[in-house]
Amino acid sequence: MAEPSSLLSVDRPLVVGKARIESTIESDTAWTRLIYVYLACSTLWLLVGTLVGAYLSIKFTAPDVDHIHWLSFGRLRPVHTNTVFWGWTSLAMIALVLYVVPKTSQRRLYSFPLAWTSLILINLAVIIGDLCLMGGINNGGQEYREYIWPVMALFAAGVVLTAYNLIRTIAARGVEEIYISNWYIMGGFLWTSVLVTIAYLPFYQQNGISETVIQGYYMHNAVGMWFTPIVLGLIYYFLPKLLNKPIYSYSLGVLAFWTQMVFYTLIGGHHFVFSPTPWSLQTLAIIFSVGMLVTLAAGTGNFLLTMKGSSRTIARSYSLPFILAGVIGYFLWSAQGTLEALRSLNLVWHFTNYTVAHSHLTMYGFVVFLIWGCIYGLMPRMTGREPSHLLAGVHFWFALLGYLIYTIALMVGGTLQGVSWILNAPFIESVHLMEPFWLWRAVGGTMMFLSHLIFAYNLWRMRPSHREREVPAPQAEALA
Amino acid sequence: MSFHKNHWLLFSVIFFGYIALSWIAGIGPAIWVQNHTHPLPGAEPMSPLQRHGLHVYIAEGCVACHTQQVRPLQMDAVWGRPSAPGDYAYVKPLDVWHPYAPAVLGSERTGPDLTSIGARQPSEVWQYIHLYNPRAVSPESIMPAHPWLFEVVATPAADAVVVPLPPAYAPPSGTVVATADAKALVAYLLSLKQVPLGAAGGDGK
Repeated sequence: MAEPSSLLSVDRPLVVGKARIESTIESDTAWTRLIYVYLACSTLWLLVGTLVGAYLSIKFTAPDVDHIHWLSFGRLRPVHTNTVFWGWTSLAMIALVLYVVPKTSQRRLYSFPLAWTSLILINLAVIIGDLCLMGGINNGGQEYREYIWPVMALFAAGVVLTAYNLIRTIAARGVEEIYISNWYIMGGFLWTSVLVTIAYLPFYQQNGISETVIQGYYMHNAVGMWFTPIVLGLIYYFLPKLLNKPIYSYSLGVLAFWTQMVFYTLIGGHHFVFSPTPWSLQTLAIIFSVGMLVTLAAGTGNFLLTMKGSSRTIARSYSLPFILAGVIGYFLWSAQGTLEALRSLNLVWHFTNYTVAHSHLTMYGFVVFLIWGCIYGLMPRMTGREPSHLLAGVHFWFALLGYLIYTIALMVGGTLQGVSWILNAPFIESVHLMEPFWLWRAVGGTMMFLSHLIFAYNLWRMRPSHREREVPAPQAEALA
Repeated sequence: MSFHKNHWLLFSVIFFGYIALSWIAGIGPAIWVQNHTHPLPGAEPMSPLQRHGLHVYIAEGCVACHTQQVRPLQMDAVWGRPSAPGDYAYVKPLDVWHPYAPAVLGSERTGPDLTSIGARQPSEVWQYIHLYNPRAVSPESIMPAHPWLFEVVATPAADAVVVPLPPAYAPPSGTVVATADAKALVAYLLSLKQVPLGAAGGDGK
């Protein structure tokens, strides 16, 4: 019998080889360039936003690391959240949308100048908004509403222009049916246009408690009616495309869409459970938070059943593992949100670091993982250039382990915080007991940041080639 | 007519349906609450100085770590009586750049609730030292120091608010005095105390 070692080939690779993509370069170079520049800007914001986040995490264990006003915790915290929201995640998502909508509509994007204008507007909003926050100009709206209205108006203009651009593209589509991706994507754009307008109109926010009612509605919808529907829409395109098979059920996608719109819009009040906002509003929010399990099961089930039987393809791909992790994250971390809304559990977790863990689990473990999966799935097919397969794997594991270390530490610590308050321990004990968990959070956060550097390098590896001859863009009429 | 084929139908339902839902979950309740919120009997309106202090409170991002809401829970009793909507009736818009009442209820308690900080720590001197460097009075605190709310001067003016810092936290030379922002912030913090329900002979309704 042969020795086991002799069964191993001498040049056994370190990791499982990943499949190369078939080389089909997108001939519309203007389109490739537009999407790549969107992604490059977004990735720059990812690095800035998460560097700020990593720096903030240090301040929990070393509060005197600096005494500079524009670097203080209170001013930088909204810089971190707004940069990763509006700079990184939003721009990356829009980049992918600018591919999926024309592709599924079989028509060239309605207007390139409009798309470039949106990019400039949103970048300006993040630059000016961050500088304002560091300078102490804060809207005072709390989560995701810290940019003052003139700044947020720039962002809103970018969203509205993009929405118009997409509607015109879809309206002139070359197929009869509106593909399900475009339901979700247009939902995200139309809902967010309304949402930002409502959140920034002052008439019904003239005292503390009415402002809080709007804040609950806004902060929740800013996540779930912008990022959630759009990334889900992207997955309805990229998952079948990358697996080369149809989506499991179109109807489940439609069911999840309408329940998302009706249930999710009503649940913002659960951010202020036990607060002096109307308890009827809180109860409504809790009921529909449980209702969201329907949406979650329909969406996740649909994706998982599509992936069923394709585990080999997923294992051989460097993009699909991100999508698999993101889909599982979508179910787990959104369901966690439902649990947090229940009064009995809210009692323990509200106001603690558990909430911080939850927001990172959903935004990162769900939304951002899906975005990365889509980027790795799309860019090589547009530019013909692949990322380093090994580094894509390193990116995946650093990001995954990093965010799990980060969030498990804060979930354990947050629960202990809540318990210490229930036991009526002196408040400072809840600060003291968090020390080791804040340290672990900084460790996980640093791993996440390192993975972003690797991603940025990989994005550069996938850049469009300049040697390519400019191919004249096909005329819109020819495709319509 | 089909959602799958008629984009105007689909997008109109998405758009107007969402506006209707937003009325139910956002605008409607906000209007109702705004019209039914009145200052509690015995509550004092904010002075211009306190309002300036609230502005500093928002600019420095204090709300990131401090709540101002006492829940009707046993675990919150340490912070005071349960908050009522009327407690926030005098939280009003700051200026044209902030045309909404700033959010003070907060969402996280990395630091203690401040609903009654004016009653719990009524000492101005303590507040100034604490803002200059929290660890000078509370060694285990992780709150950021806010030295930029103060000035170091060689000889303080006669009417200056001098901050008597412990030597370990004082600058090597000069005297630390409060700026207008620090004075306003402290005035705001000291104004944070609950009006007892039924103060004006009411029955708490």
